[in-house]
Amino acid sequence: MDKMNDLLEKYFRAETTISEENKLKHYFMSDKVMPEHEMYRPLFETFEMELHETADLPLKKVLSVQRSFKRTWIRNFAYSGIAAALLITLWVQLPQKSENYAIINGTRIDDSEYAQQYTEKKLNKVKVILAESMKPMQSLDKVRKNLQPIKKLAETKEKMKQIGKELDFKN
Amino acid sequence: MDSKQFNTQILILSDKLFRLAKSILRNEAAAQDAVQELNMKLWEKRHNLDEVENVPAFTMRAMRNLCLDTIRQQRDVDELPAEFEFVEANPHEQTEQRDLAARIRNMIDNLPELQRTIIRMRDVEGMEISEIAFVTQLTDNAVSVNLSRARQKIRERIINEQKKVEETIWIR
Repeated sequence: MDKMNDLLEKYFRAETTISEENKLKHYFMSDKVMPEHEMYRPLFETFEMELHETADLPLKKVLSVQRSFKRTWIRNFAYSGIAAALLITLWVQLPQKSENYAIINGTRIDDSEYAQQYTEKKLNKVKVILAESMKPMQSLDKVRKNLQPIKKLAETKEKMKQIGKELDFKN
Repeated sequence: MDSKQFNTQILILSDKLFRLAKSILRNEAAAQDAVQELNMKLWEKRHNLDEVENVPAFTMRAMRNLCLDTIRQQRDVDELPAEFEFVEANPHEQTEQRDLAARIRNMIDNLPELQRTIIRMRDVEGMEISEIAFVTQLTDNAVSVNLSRARQKIRERIINEQKKVEETIWIR
């Protein structure tokens, strides 16, 4: 405590450094102040209290309001921007994931051009197969056409019957 | 200096300037007016502030000079001495000043302007001797001498008060 005594004497002679004065301030703010030093405690407490005095200035207030308004505006703008960016990302990415790939023989193909060429090839093959399959149908059409005279014979027969009946009636 | 720099370099010092002005003028409302006036003046000359090396020290010096001008003008109007020597509080005043902080504040406020400004710049604001020398336009040595005188006076007054308190206890 002799050390504190020396420091205090040095302080009153204005020979202390800022760091030594801070040590004194901490000492007087603690509960370890010696009884003979107790009378100086209010002095250091007053310095500490005065440091927290603030000005109540209109200019300072206006600027702080402007600053807080600006800060709020920037924060709102930032949140809106983030939300918009997330929405756009979801909107853009989801269709991409569902449309921009194809599974060919169990393999995922992301190259859309390759997938398109592959599909066209397969469709051409289907076209050829369908054309082959339709050939018997063409033959059937021919048969239908060939059967047309037979149909006419039946009609002619029916007409002959009617004529025969009419002749019998006249006789 | 643009408005943003003015905000971060000058207006941020408002509380510190207010405490300095209050210490010199010993009046809260006058101190606030003085800070406002200085802020306005600096705003008008903000384009020249880029050349200033140490903005806080320059602003503190400008604040002190403005307050001293105010005191001089007031002295001319009122014909009253701007500085008072310490007048010890009478017993009635002493009972009113039970708050120890208020009594210490009163002791400092009754020091000559230079001494109370220096003691507050050092012990409240924690400024270096060289910074105080710039603000007060004194040498470092002159600042130390005035600081020592101010602290010694406060010490004497604290010791005197303590003695009176002890005497009162013994009489009772």
